[in-house]
This record gives sequence, C-alpha cells and structure tokens, in this order.
Amino acid sequence: MVSGFLVVQRSLPPLVCHDCDVLLELPKLAEGEKAICPRCIAVLLTRGRNSLHRTAAFAMASAVLFLVANWFPFLTLQAGLRESQMLLWQSATGLAAEGYTFLGAAVSVFVIGAPILLIGGLLYLVLPLLWDRRLPGAVPICRWVLRARRWNMMEVFLLGVLVSLLKLGKLATLTLGTSFWALVALIICLTAALSSIHPRELWRRIELAKR
Amino acid sequence: MRELPADSAAARGLAVCHTCGLASHVDDVRCPRCHSSLHLRQRESLQRTWAFTVAALLLYLPANLLPVLRVESITGSQSSTIISGVIQFWQQEDYPVAVIIFVASVMIPVLKIIAIVCLCFAARDGTRPRGMTRLYRVTEFVGRWSMVDVFVVAILVGVVQLGTTISIHPGAGAVSFAAVVILTMFAAMSFDPRLIWDAAAARPQPAQQS
Repeated sequence: MVSGFLVVQRSLPPLVCHDCDVLLELPKLAEGEKAICPRCIAVLLTRGRNSLHRTAAFAMASAVLFLVANWFPFLTLQAGLRESQMLLWQSATGLAAEGYTFLGAAVSVFVIGAPILLIGGLLYLVLPLLWDRRLPGAVPICRWVLRARRWNMMEVFLLGVLVSLLKLGKLATLTLGTSFWALVALIICLTAALSSIHPRELWRRIELAKR
Repeated sequence: MRELPADSAAARGLAVCHTCGLASHVDDVRCPRCHSSLHLRQRESLQRTWAFTVAALLLYLPANLLPVLRVESITGSQSSTIISGVIQFWQQEDYPVAVIIFVASVMIPVLKIIAIVCLCFAARDGTRPRGMTRLYRVTEFVGRWSMVDVFVVAILVGVVQLGTTISIHPGAGAVSFAAVVILTMFAAMSFDPRLIWDAAAARPQPAQQS
C-alpha cells in the first residue's frame, strides 16, 4: 500500500529549492514538520496530519458554502422607500452592464471563476485520491488549480464589502445578507483546504495513484 | 545567461519544474510528472519583468488621476478618485478605513513597483540574496490587496442599480487601477529569484573563502 509521500519507488532526483536552486537531500518529515531551505528559508515541504482527509473535508464544505454564497442575497440596500438586493455575482455583471466589460470580467474571475476552479478542481483531485485513484485529466487539472490560487481574491473582496458599507453609510442603509456570512465561512474553509496539503505532496500522490 | 553557480541544480543539468517542484533533467524538455515545459531559469525573466513594471508605472498615473467612481444623487453628481476617497474617509473621521485604503491602494502599488525594480537590480548585481528573496516572497503575497478599491467600485455599482434615488457609475480610473494591479502581479510572476543567487555566486566573495 502506498502510505504517503516518502515512499521511494524509483531513484528519486534530489530535492531542489524552487527559489534559490540549491541541491538538497529529500528529508524524512514527521507529521506536523516542515522542511525549510537552509539557504533562502523557502518552505520546501510540509507534512500535515491527515492532509488528504482535511483537504477533502474543507473542499466539500467550501463547495456547499459557495452555492449558499451565490444563491442568497449578498447585500440589501434601502434608500427611502425603495429596496434593492444584490447577489454576489451581480457585482461583476453590474460593471459589465455599465459598459466596463474588462472590469466586470476581471472581478468575475477573481471572485467567481478562480474559486470555482479551486473548489471543483480540488474535489476532482482529492476525493479519488482518498481511494488512491486518479481520474482522467488529473494532471492538467492540478496544474490549473495551483495556478488559480493567486487569482482567487475573495478575502480582498470581503474587505471591499466592509469599506463599501462605510462608504454608503450616509446615502443609504446597507444590510448584510446570508450570502455574506457564507462568504466569510467559505474563505476560511478554502484557505484551510489549500493549506492542509502541500503542492508537492499533492503531486506525489497523483503520481503514485492508480488510474 | 551568466555562468551557473557550481552548487546549483542547474549546473548539473537539473531543472526544477515550476509547477510541481520535481527536479528532472533539463533534456527532458517536459516535466515527466506534470508535463509543464522545463527551463533552467524562467525565459526572458528580467525583460518580461521590466516590461510589465514599466507598463504598470505608466498606468499608475491615470489610475490615480481619473475618477474611479461617480455618484449621482438629487443633490447632483460627484466624482471621486482614489485619493479623494481616502480624504473623504479621513474627514468623516473613519481613520482606520482611511488608513486601510491608503495602504492598499496608494502605498502597496508604489512599494511593489519599487520592490520589483530593486529585485531586477539585485538579479544583476547579486546583492543581499537572502533578503532579496524574502522581498520577492512578500511582493508576491501582498500585491493582491490593492484590488480592494476595484471591488468597492464593483459592489457599489452592483448594489445601487435598481433605479433608486441615487445611482453610482464606475469611472475610467478603476480600469487603469485594476490593470496596474494585474500587471504588477504578472511582473512578480515573471521574476525568477534564482537569478539573484546566480549573480551572488558570480561575485568575488573573499568573506566565504575561510
């Protein structure tokens, strides 16, 4: 049985630091330990407790929260007698409707596209890995998931919401909807899902998994 | 490319895959594990980094001079730039918000551009490789927070749409500002910190001879 990262099935090339290109030995890590480059202090590898199960659990929670965050109203605005509600994705379509297509596209990638890719991709990779299997296309999907990380800006969006509340404070009353609290929980779960497993470990498990 | 330092993986023909971190022989062309293309160093790293940085610097001007937001209410229409937004919060005595917006939208982009320029020079001269590598990591992490003002515009435009007494419209400054943030992110992505270590190894170092 493949019991994890450090099983050597063929002569492995040495570990190389991705930031300073120094050649190192592959260290044997205990649970909860991490390997740090002695020259440039980059984190090379972490070995978390139950990394795969934690990532799977948090990714599933993220998927549910993502649906909640996009289903229920995000903000409610009251100005005089009128009331309007905004769904999460309407922050992107509103810009596009004003003729700012580029901005709308950028915002939708940062708060909708990248999170979908992250959550969906993680589930597609990690759930089969629980049974040591990989589905077709696991390799390109893993590449895309890792690339999508930096473009996921939900936490920055959250700060934007708080600033908006204060900015509109005088002109109208804004109320936070269910979706806002789902977004808060989603950010926590997705961050936990991504940080529970190190990319190197993910790649190693995909490499060793049965098709 | 300058000569590769003897203790580097590259000198032995080993290329680290920038996607999955596997070290494999550069002659393989593609990573045997994740099929990304292999390079000893990122291609044209400094040229690309400079190009993105200069583009970001040029767009920084319209990003700050043009309005990002136009609020129309019964009392009339009012445009605001990023700086005037900060000043408005300061005058409303919302000091923490004013400071957050100032740091995220004004300071971080400028500091990030300065940091990338410093990194480019460090990659040429090999000064302080350890500190510069740390600066690179901070630069990569912090840039995204500048987007906060763009999101504020998106949220305000989205929520104040349905024919209320006020209406809010985005301004051209917001587009330039988003472009600045995206371009500096690309600049940081194109930068290869290993170039600093190559340059550092190429310097004469009498201190390390002992």
